[in-house]
Amino acid sequence: MRAEEIRLGKTRKSLFKDHVMSILPDGGNLNLCLTCGACASGCPASGIGDMDPRRFLRLAAMGADDEILSSDWAWWCTMCQRCIYACPMKIDIPQLIFNVRASRPREQRPKGIVASCDAALKHDTCSAMGVSEEDWRFVVEDVLDEVRAGQAGFEKLQAPVDKVGAELFLNQNSREPVTEPEEMVPLWKILNLAGADWTYGSKGWAAENYCMFMADDASWEHIIRTKVKAVEDLRCKAWLNTE
Amino acid sequence: MNIELLTLSEVVDVNGQAGNFTVTVRKNPRYIDMDKCIACGICAEKCPKLVKDDYNLGLSRRKAAYIQYGQTIPLKYAIDPETCIFIQKGKGKCLACEKFCPTGAINFKDREQIVTLNVGSVILSPGHKPFDPSVFDFYGYGRIPDVVTGMEYERMLSPGGPLHGHLEQPSNGKTPQNIAWLQCVGSRNTNKSDNGYCSSVCCMYAMKQALITETHIPGGGRQTIFFMDMRCHGKEFELYYNYAKDKNIQFMRARPHTIEAGPGGVGVKMLYSTEDGRKVEEQFDMAVLSIGLEAPRDALDLAEKTGIRLTPYRFAETGDFNPVASSKAGIYIGGSFMGPMNIPSAVAHASSAAACAAADLVSARGTLTRKKTYPPEADLAGQAPKIGVFVCSCGINIAQHVDVTALTEYAKTLPFVAYAENSLFSCSTDAQGMMGKIVKEKGLNRVVIAACSPRTHEPLFQDTLKELGINGYLVEMANIRNQNSWVHQKQPEKATQKAKDQVRMAVAKAGRIFPLAQMEVPVVPRAMVIGGGVTGMTAALKLGDQGYDTVLIEKSDRLGGNAWQLRTTARGEPVRPMLEALIAKVKGHRRIEVLTTARITSATGSVGNFTSDVEADGEVRTFSYGIAVLATGAAESVPVEYLYGQDDRVVTHLQFDRLIADDPDRTASLASAVFIQCVGSRDENRPYCSRLCCTHSVKAAVDLKTQKPDMAVFVLYRDMRTYGLNEDLYKKAREMGVLFIRYDLENKPQVSRDGDRLVVRVTDPVINRKIAIDTDLLVLAAAVVPNDVADLVSIYRCATNQDGFLNEAHPKLRPVDMAADGLFVAGIGGFPKPLEESISQAQAAASRASVILSRDVMYLDAIKSHVTEHCDGCAVCLDACPYQAISIIAYAENGRTAKKVETDKALCKGCGICQAACPKGGILVHGFTIDQLQAQVYAALDLPN
Repeated sequence: MRAEEIRLGKTRKSLFKDHVMSILPDGGNLNLCLTCGACASGCPASGIGDMDPRRFLRLAAMGADDEILSSDWAWWCTMCQRCIYACPMKIDIPQLIFNVRASRPREQRPKGIVASCDAALKHDTCSAMGVSEEDWRFVVEDVLDEVRAGQAGFEKLQAPVDKVGAELFLNQNSREPVTEPEEMVPLWKILNLAGADWTYGSKGWAAENYCMFMADDASWEHIIRTKVKAVEDLRCKAWLNTE
Repeated sequence: MNIELLTLSEVVDVNGQAGNFTVTVRKNPRYIDMDKCIACGICAEKCPKLVKDDYNLGLSRRKAAYIQYGQTIPLKYAIDPETCIFIQKGKGKCLACEKFCPTGAINFKDREQIVTLNVGSVILSPGHKPFDPSVFDFYGYGRIPDVVTGMEYERMLSPGGPLHGHLEQPSNGKTPQNIAWLQCVGSRNTNKSDNGYCSSVCCMYAMKQALITETHIPGGGRQTIFFMDMRCHGKEFELYYNYAKDKNIQFMRARPHTIEAGPGGVGVKMLYSTEDGRKVEEQFDMAVLSIGLEAPRDALDLAEKTGIRLTPYRFAETGDFNPVASSKAGIYIGGSFMGPMNIPSAVAHASSAAACAAADLVSARGTLTRKKTYPPEADLAGQAPKIGVFVCSCGINIAQHVDVTALTEYAKTLPFVAYAENSLFSCSTDAQGMMGKIVKEKGLNRVVIAACSPRTHEPLFQDTLKELGINGYLVEMANIRNQNSWVHQKQPEKATQKAKDQVRMAVAKAGRIFPLAQMEVPVVPRAMVIGGGVTGMTAALKLGDQGYDTVLIEKSDRLGGNAWQLRTTARGEPVRPMLEALIAKVKGHRRIEVLTTARITSATGSVGNFTSDVEADGEVRTFSYGIAVLATGAAESVPVEYLYGQDDRVVTHLQFDRLIADDPDRTASLASAVFIQCVGSRDENRPYCSRLCCTHSVKAAVDLKTQKPDMAVFVLYRDMRTYGLNEDLYKKAREMGVLFIRYDLENKPQVSRDGDRLVVRVTDPVINRKIAIDTDLLVLAAAVVPNDVADLVSIYRCATNQDGFLNEAHPKLRPVDMAADGLFVAGIGGFPKPLEESISQAQAAASRASVILSRDVMYLDAIKSHVTEHCDGCAVCLDACPYQAISIIAYAENGRTAKKVETDKALCKGCGICQAACPKGGILVHGFTIDQLQAQVYAALDLPN
C-alpha cells in the first residue's frame, strides 16, 4: 500500500477522468463502475506493474491523476477491449487508456511505437518499417515472379499494384515484405482462387497504424487520410485491412 | 369452492371498466376429461412419445400425455397437441392412451373453447421469465456442458427433479465436488442485456443452493459464490448469510470474466481477480449461473389486451402509494409482474391485490359465494374401532427411501386395522375421493394417514371425513416424510422400520380417539388496528372500505408516525400530500374510530371474538372485535459512533430528510457530503440488515447531486443493497458522480475533527489506499429498530424474533398472519421496509383479516383442556397455564363446598401443560389424553398396553 492518503472532498480538483468523459459518447460510462473486477479478471495485462484495469479506473475515479498519467501501465494495456466486452456497465476503459497515452509528452512515449509512427509518416506507403514505394513494388513483383516460376498451378498468379478500378484495395502489414515476403503469398492465392478483383496500392498499402497506438491524433489522422486517398485514387469499391 | 380454475387458458381480451369487466378467455383443449381422469398415470405410462420436459428445463423427458409435476393443481393429466402422435398424424395412429385409460377419460374430440367472464376486478399475476444467459458468450452456456443456470441447478438438486436429488455433473455423470456460482447474470447489467435492475432473489437462492449442495455431496464438497454485493435484505436473511459462512460456503467478491471448459470438456476453468487484485486461476466441476428474473415473454401482449401501462423493463407499472394497482382502475398486479421479488413479498402483494380487488366489489359481496355444508355427523358411539391406514408415497419424497408396499402390508397386521393402501399423493383431490369411497364401503370409523405433517395437511383429511358425516377428529397422522424419509435418506431399511414404528404408534392412538366437538364462536365484525402510522391507517382504511367497523389506536397524539419525517419515496413521489390525504380519509371515514394517545391494556378471547380495554386520554373503554392488526412500527436508532451528537454536521437519515426539506439552501451550499451505511446494522448487537438504508442513501445522494451537480458526494458501504428496481437509483447516483467506497466491519471508517474540518477516513479495498474525505455533512444510515412491543406481546401472547420484530406465522407462505389466529402483522414492526412495501403489507393484512371478518361464525379447534371428575381443586394447573385459561370455582357437593378448576375454551391453546402438571388426571387435553399418549408410548416400545 502506498503510504500517502488520497485526499478528497472539498479539495477535489477537476479530474482527468471528467475530461475524458467529456469527449466520449455517454462519457464512456466511466462513472458507472461497480468495482466487480470482471475487467481485471479478463485482462491480459492485469498484474503487470501491480496494476489492472479496475485499479486504473479506480485511481482515475479517486482523482489520482498524477499516478495514472505517469503510469506505464497505459502502454502495457493493448486496448484489446476484452474488459469492455464483459463489463456489466460497458465501461470504455480502452478509451480512458487511449487518452492517458495521448496526454503523455511525445518524448516520454515508448520509443518503439514512436519510431514506428515516425517511419510511417516518412512515406505515403504508411509503412511503419519505412518501406518506400519502389522497394514495395519491387518485393511484390520479385516474390510473384518466384511463385509463378516455381509453383505448379500458380503460373498465372496475380498480385497487381495500382490496378485502377479494382473491387478490393488490399492492405498488407509491412513486416512481411521486409522480413518474410513469402508470407504474403497464401492470401494472394486465396484471392486468386476466389476470383477476387483486387489490388495493392503503391501508396497507403501498409495495414498497421502505430500512430494510433501512440495516441497521436494528428499523425493518426494523417495516416488514415493518406490511406483513404490511396483507395479513392484507384477508385476501388472496398478497402480490405488485414490488421 | 369459490375459486373456478381455468387451466390451459389464455386471456384473449379484456373490456369494460372497474366493477364490470368482460374477460374473454381461450380454453385450450386438454384432450382428457377432467371429471373422469383419476390421475392414475396410465396414459403417460403407455404413451410412446417422449418429449423434452419443460418443467425440468429439458433436463429430463416426459410423455406427450403428461402432468407437469406431482403436485399439479388440478391433478389431471393433459395431452400435448404439439407432440401427440395421434393429433399430429391423425387416423389410425397410436391412441395408446385411449386404449388403456381405465376411466375412458381420453377425449380427442376436445376443442378449443372461448369463454366469456363477467368480473368486477382483475388481478394479473403472470409471473416472470428466467433470463437466458446465452447472450453472454463468454460464460459458455449451451457450449460447455458443466455450465448450468440457477433454475436448471434447482431442478437438479430437487428430490422430485430429473436426478432425484442425486447431483451429477452433466459432462460425465459424476458427483461434482467443487461448484461455483456466478451472481448477477442478466441482472445489474446493461451490456448485452437491458436488465439494469437487481433481480432481488438470486443472492439468497444461490446461498440456499450452496447449502443444500453441501448436504447432497458426501463429505460436503466445496461451494464458492462469486458476487458483487451479497444482498440479504430480507427478514433473517443476514442470519442465513452468517450461517452459510459458518458452514464454510466460500464467498468470493470477484467476477470471473470468462468461463472455459475444463480439460477434456469436463468441468470449468476460470480466471478471476480478487478484490485486492490477486489473479487466481481455479477449476470447478460445475458453474451455476445465477440468472435473473425478467418480465414475462407476453407482457407486452397482456398490457395491450388489458390496457395497463408497463415500465421500460416491461414490468407492470404501479404507484408507490397504491403498490398493487395497475395504471388502469380495477386491474391489480400480484407478484413479480411488478418487478423481481421473493416469495414473502409476492405472497403479501397477492393478498394486497386481493384486498384492493375485494374493496372494489364490496357492494356485491356475498352475492356469488357458495358455502360448504357437511352432512350431519353419524353417531359412532359403541362401535369398535375400525381403522383404515392410508400410506402416501408423496410422489417419490417418501417412496424413494421408505418401502411403502412393505409398510402398507405391515399396517394390515395391526390391531383394529380393517384396511390399508398406498397412493401416490394421498392429499390429491382424487385420492381424497377414493379415500371417501373406501371409508364408506368398508365402514371405517378411524383413519390413519401415514404421510406428512399434520401442521399442513391435517385440516384436509379432517375435511374429507366431515364430508362423509364422520367427525373430523377421527383422523391420526404419522409423519413419515418430514420426520423420516427426509432425514434418513441414506438408510432406507432403517427408515422403513421407523415408518412401521410410526404407523404402529398412530394406529395405537387411533384406537383410542373419539369424536370431538368444535366450539362455535360468533364473529364480531369489528377490526382493531394498533398503530396509526401509514401502515395502520392503510389497513384501517382497507378494512373500513370493506364495511367493517374499525378501531385505530395510536399511542402518540397524532396519526402519521415516521411518514411525517419522510420526504419522498425512492421513486420520488412526495410523501406529505399522500400522508395528509390518508389522515383526512381515515379521520373522515364513517367506519373508522381513531383513538390517539391510546394504548391497549388487556385482551381476552380469541379469533373472531376478542375483548380489550383501551385507555385513551385517561378514559378506559372496552371494545370487542374479531381481529387485530399489529402495525406497531419501528424507529431510527440513535448512533453511538462517528461523532454523532458531538458535531452538528453529523446527522441521521431522517434528520437529513428534514434538513433538505426545511433548509434546501443549506444543503445546496455544501461542497461535500458523505454517507456511511450500516450504522448499527449487520453488527454484533444488531445482526440484521435494515433493508431500506441503501436505497435511502442513494436517493439522498441523487437529490444532493441534483441540487448541486459539482458537490462531492460519497457513500461508504459494506454491500450495496439497492434490491429490485432500486438498482436504477444506484446506477443514477454513480452516473451523477457519486463515489461509492466499500469498507469491512473489521475496518470501519474513522471520523475525526481536524480543527474545523470534519474528516472521514476509509481504505479503498481496490487500490488498497487510505482515503481522507473532507466533508461538510456526514449522514449516518442508522439502523431501524422495532418499537417496544413487550406489552402487546404479553397481552396477545404473540412473539417477536431475536431482534424484537413481530413474528409472522410463516415467513414465506403466511407473511402477514401471526401464529395466533386472528392477529396480523404489517409494516416495519415486522421488519424494516420502505413505505410502498409497508402499504402493500397493510393491504394484505386487511385482506387476510377480512377472511375472518366476513364470516358469521368461527369454529375453534376442539383440542382444548377438559376438567374431569378427578379434579379436586388443588390448583396446581392454575400457575402452570401460560394462557391464564384456568380458573378455580367453588361448588356445593353433598352439602359442603368443594372446589374444582374450570377452563376457558377460548383462551385455552391446548398446549397440555395442565395435563402434565396435574398429579391426579383431573384435567386432560382432548386429542392428546394421557390414555392416548400412553398407548403411543407402549406402541413405540412395541409393548402390550
